[in-house]
Amino acid sequence: MDEEPERAKRWEGGYERTWEVLKEDESGSLKATVEQILYQSRRKRVTQSHAQVRLGMMRHLYVVIDCSRSMEDQDLKPNRLTSTLKLMEGFVDEYFDQNPISQVGIIITKNKRAEKLTELAGNPKKHTAALKKAVDTSCVGEPSLYNSLSLSIQTLKHMPGHTSREILIILSSLTTCDPANIYELIKMLKSLKVRVSVIGLSAEVRVCTVLTRETGGSYHVILDESHFKELLMLHVKPPPASFSSECSLIRMGFPQHTVASLSDQDVKPSFSMSHLDSSSVPALSLGGYFCPQCHAKYTELPVECKVCGLTLVSAPHLARSFHHLFPLQVFIESPVEDFLENRFCQACQGQLKDKNVFACPSCRSVFCVECDLFIHESLHCCPCCIHSRSAT
Amino acid sequence: MLFSLTEDELNLLVIVVDVNPIWWGQQGQREPQFTLSKCLDAVMVMGNAHMAMTRTNKLAVIASHCQDSHFLYPSKSWKSGDSGGDEASSSRDGKYELLSVANNLIAEEIRSIMAKTEVTGNSTDTLLAGSLAKALCYIHRFSKELEVGQEMKSRILVIKAADDCALQYMNFMNVIFAAQKQNILIDACVLDSDSGLLQQACDITGGLYLKIPQKVALAQYLLWVFLPDSEQRSQLVLPPPAHVDYRAACFCHRNLIEIGYVCSVCLSIFCNFSPICTTCETAFKIQLPQMVKPKKKKLKQAA
Repeated sequence: MDEEPERAKRWEGGYERTWEVLKEDESGSLKATVEQILYQSRRKRVTQSHAQVRLGMMRHLYVVIDCSRSMEDQDLKPNRLTSTLKLMEGFVDEYFDQNPISQVGIIITKNKRAEKLTELAGNPKKHTAALKKAVDTSCVGEPSLYNSLSLSIQTLKHMPGHTSREILIILSSLTTCDPANIYELIKMLKSLKVRVSVIGLSAEVRVCTVLTRETGGSYHVILDESHFKELLMLHVKPPPASFSSECSLIRMGFPQHTVASLSDQDVKPSFSMSHLDSSSVPALSLGGYFCPQCHAKYTELPVECKVCGLTLVSAPHLARSFHHLFPLQVFIESPVEDFLENRFCQACQGQLKDKNVFACPSCRSVFCVECDLFIHESLHCCPCCIHSRSAT
Repeated sequence: MLFSLTEDELNLLVIVVDVNPIWWGQQGQREPQFTLSKCLDAVMVMGNAHMAMTRTNKLAVIASHCQDSHFLYPSKSWKSGDSGGDEASSSRDGKYELLSVANNLIAEEIRSIMAKTEVTGNSTDTLLAGSLAKALCYIHRFSKELEVGQEMKSRILVIKAADDCALQYMNFMNVIFAAQKQNILIDACVLDSDSGLLQQACDITGGLYLKIPQKVALAQYLLWVFLPDSEQRSQLVLPPPAHVDYRAACFCHRNLIEIGYVCSVCLSIFCNFSPICTTCETAFKIQLPQMVKPKKKKLKQAA
């Protein structure tokens, strides 16, 4: 039935002698080996990068969270549901930090049904508030993969072609209750170019393997809570765009932020369009962002104008995504003995105490291990290269 | 609480001073009563005041030159308790030793930098992004060297003299977002012309932006506005936030636009629709107006 040969399962291979990796030094301590293992895992994160690959910047992602009975299991503290929701809050913040013009929606599935917790929206506060409230939901019944996927498809199929359509499923149960043939649904997902990824909390489930393989997503099963966090954060980076996604020119508005105080002459208080349908009393406020097309007011960006449909962003939101488009090159690692003449890291002015140092290929400045990690993860530009006047 | 009485909170202030020699040379001719040395005197007063507030406050000063940035304080070759520094530090007026050592170091370093560095080209703009990046790396290193139980709050104060360099937009934004993620405030004290980049930096990170009306009173402004840290600022009456222009500039004409077209691949902004993106050379799908089917008229035509 499936064309791809299955990879060998772990129990089918020989014994893995994991203890042989650890080596003691002369005094019998394992500290050096442990440090080296940690160091290598950090370096691995830095060196994986998609250079010269077109990335999907505007993403529409649905996260499906399983709320079935198996989520009450206490192998993640205090129970799987609370731990998942906590990590999801961190995920939502990080996601909007790296992809400011994208949208996220949350669906929960339990009792053989699926329902939307939040609609697809670009504002992290709504999602975080909903996640905080969802801690009290009861975990009952079985999840339904079919229902949650079809609920997400209902919205995703109307999204424009130049955006990426993704679904991330966090599945802890080993069973699913579907009203119809899920393989048909998988074919439909493939034709709609939706990419589905799954993070399993219990064990590998065959239908998820087929689902992710057919749609081009990834499937991982967690080992522990920190591995769970790592796997979630893998989905924050924009994925490579699929070959057939269209490229188009999107019309966007860049509203000005007016800050007004009561002492100004013509200031008029107005309602913000985003708060009109909230249950709390909508408040009149003085300043805000006015849509350049229809002059409706909003308090926060990015937002899609409800009146005229124009996407409103500010220039820093687009600038946040630039480091994905122009990634920083990997620095060359070399032993510290080659650089005896200056023993100081050129970024933080600290002494070079580590065994290896990193040099930028363009400007040949030398950095220590910590600065190298910081530069690649947060700063995204070499501190010495940006002193030159070449335009970037 | 207003003042942290515990010794567990470290407050690190990094002052980035723009020492573009061409601008300061011109300034010395325009207004002889306010020169680079007066500016650095004000910076030293600010640094001393910061270190005198609490024992755990720390200071760093970076000079941003045309092509490079140099750390004026702390200096790499000086370590606290170094006997070689005794001659410099024997303060003749009974000042707290840390403060007089800092002042002497800053004065020495800036003299050697201005004497040694060659000025190539006649650019009158300042490359702040590099100095800010080095400041962030320094703060990051400091935060890794903390002991268990100590917390650190840091902020960067930028004293800008010359104009902005427009080529630095992307690097500047990267630095600003990195600072925002680490909860580092960026304050700006502008001497001459308004800087859009610094206004955005202060707005995004939550710092204060101030353009000084009178340069000779620099020390007063520094002590009044920029000395208190972020917790204390909510209790004080400070200059109101400046209005920041967040409109984007189109890539073709560099005009500020309110409605524009954004390429979905490379995020470049254009003011008019064009079939090909000039940055990434993707051809776009042109939206044709949809065909409207003619409605069938129900009324029969009068015979």
